[in-house]
Amino acid sequence: MITLNNIGMKYNLGVERDNSFKQTFINILSGKHRKNKKKKEDNFFWALKDVNFHVDKGEVVGLIGSNGAGKSTLLKVVSGVMKPTEGSVQVNGQISPMIELGAGFDMELTARENIYLNGAVLGYSKELLDEKFEDIVEFSELREFLDVPVKNFSSGMTAKLAFSIATIVDPEILIVDEILSVGDIKFQEKSKNKMMEMIKGGTTVLYVSHNLQSIRDLCNKVVWLEHGVVQEIGDTNEVCDHYYKSQMG
Amino acid sequence: MIKMMRNIVWNFKKYRFLMNELISRDFKVKYKRSVLGVVWSLLYPILMMIVMAVVFSQMFKFKVEGQNYLVYLMTGIIMFNYFSEASNNGMTSIVVNFGLLNKVYIPKYIFPLSKCLFVGINFLLTLIPWIGLIAASYFGLGEYVCHFNIYFLLLPYVFLCLFIFTVGISFLLSAVSVLLRDMFYIYGIILMIWQYVTPVFYSIQIIPESLQKIFKLNPLYQFLEGARVIVVNGHAPSGTLLLTMGLWAVGMLLVGAIVFKKNQDKFIYYI
Repeated sequence: MITLNNIGMKYNLGVERDNSFKQTFINILSGKHRKNKKKKEDNFFWALKDVNFHVDKGEVVGLIGSNGAGKSTLLKVVSGVMKPTEGSVQVNGQISPMIELGAGFDMELTARENIYLNGAVLGYSKELLDEKFEDIVEFSELREFLDVPVKNFSSGMTAKLAFSIATIVDPEILIVDEILSVGDIKFQEKSKNKMMEMIKGGTTVLYVSHNLQSIRDLCNKVVWLEHGVVQEIGDTNEVCDHYYKSQMG
Repeated sequence: MIKMMRNIVWNFKKYRFLMNELISRDFKVKYKRSVLGVVWSLLYPILMMIVMAVVFSQMFKFKVEGQNYLVYLMTGIIMFNYFSEASNNGMTSIVVNFGLLNKVYIPKYIFPLSKCLFVGINFLLTLIPWIGLIAASYFGLGEYVCHFNIYFLLLPYVFLCLFIFTVGISFLLSAVSVLLRDMFYIYGIILMIWQYVTPVFYSIQIIPESLQKIFKLNPLYQFLEGARVIVVNGHAPSGTLLLTMGLWAVGMLLVGAIVFKKNQDKFIYYI
């Protein structure tokens, strides 16, 4: 379903400072131009290096690792947002990305309008949205607020709406970045059940979380990343134990 | 080649709904909290035309010999305004929508293109008062009568060329401005200069003969001329003129698309 071959992702740290005329000009004037260029060469780091793994259909794979380990970058590579510097990604099937919910919301628009906008961003068709509109509203528990601009929503409400839109179809591949902590306790339970339902329905899931308990509950395989390098791949409990030990000493 | 074309068409179909949504989002956001709402799309150009007409033909006493100056001026203004607004919005569209591009895979060209279409729809609305102005010339507004004639059928071609040219330049500018944010300011100045070297409110005849050749290299002059020959003079545009417009449009689109495609994978690191 998903195959990653020798993925390497290079970030250029010098990039930020170089994209303005002013800076280039200052560099030239102060004679730093040459020196900077040389420095720039060393000024990158590998967010991912030699990452290889394979996900079969129906597998639920957890990604763990400390902050900055490259988990989110990996999800972005899989979902096609970023092209890897090295290696190749093969994905068979339709992806529904839930990397940071509500990415496609326009805060000025109402919830109703945002359901269509966000749905379109996620690649749904108009017919599908018309058909599922009621379900989305029902699941989000936001019926009374349908015609309120999203900017007046609390963060929990926004997240609930986003989750409801993202999970309304049964995608073949679901990419989830730390979202089960969405909304109040009731909604958390509901969203977890929804996830379980999708998993049972045969959806392949890539799941990033710092909550080891939810990883243990959901995943049947875990990839542990550290500094962009795969530390361990394998049985959920085993890898989680090793990770926990290395983190907490 | 055929495969590439098929890919493009397929892509278009797939993302048409998204494009619709983005355009309607622009409309909704634009008119949120305004009492008159979409009526402004019609009212605004009418008011603008009145102001421009008063300023240029009454205060400055501008005129173009033997032609209906009001129609001449408005044709230039609505076309140039389309170009400047669409290319400006198109330029910023990638940077503004970074939040989306960073999270979901969407073909990036959709953003500049949807901006050009959105402003394009507004442009089509401004054509309504513009046609009203032409009709008013029958009743003596602006001294000379502008006849509706068979060559009006060529206007869609002229506007299409302008649109394609604008899309091309939006691709180019949006790609460059991601890598070099100074472009926002530089282009603001370029647009200002561009507006003055394009015969929008004056006639190219007032330029010294020796300079006219250079002024005619300006693609916007060609588009404006194309529309004016039809509407103001009532002639058919020459074959050369039609061809020049088409070449500018396609050429700019090619340049813009190539630059955009070459750089689009880098965008994400620069925003």
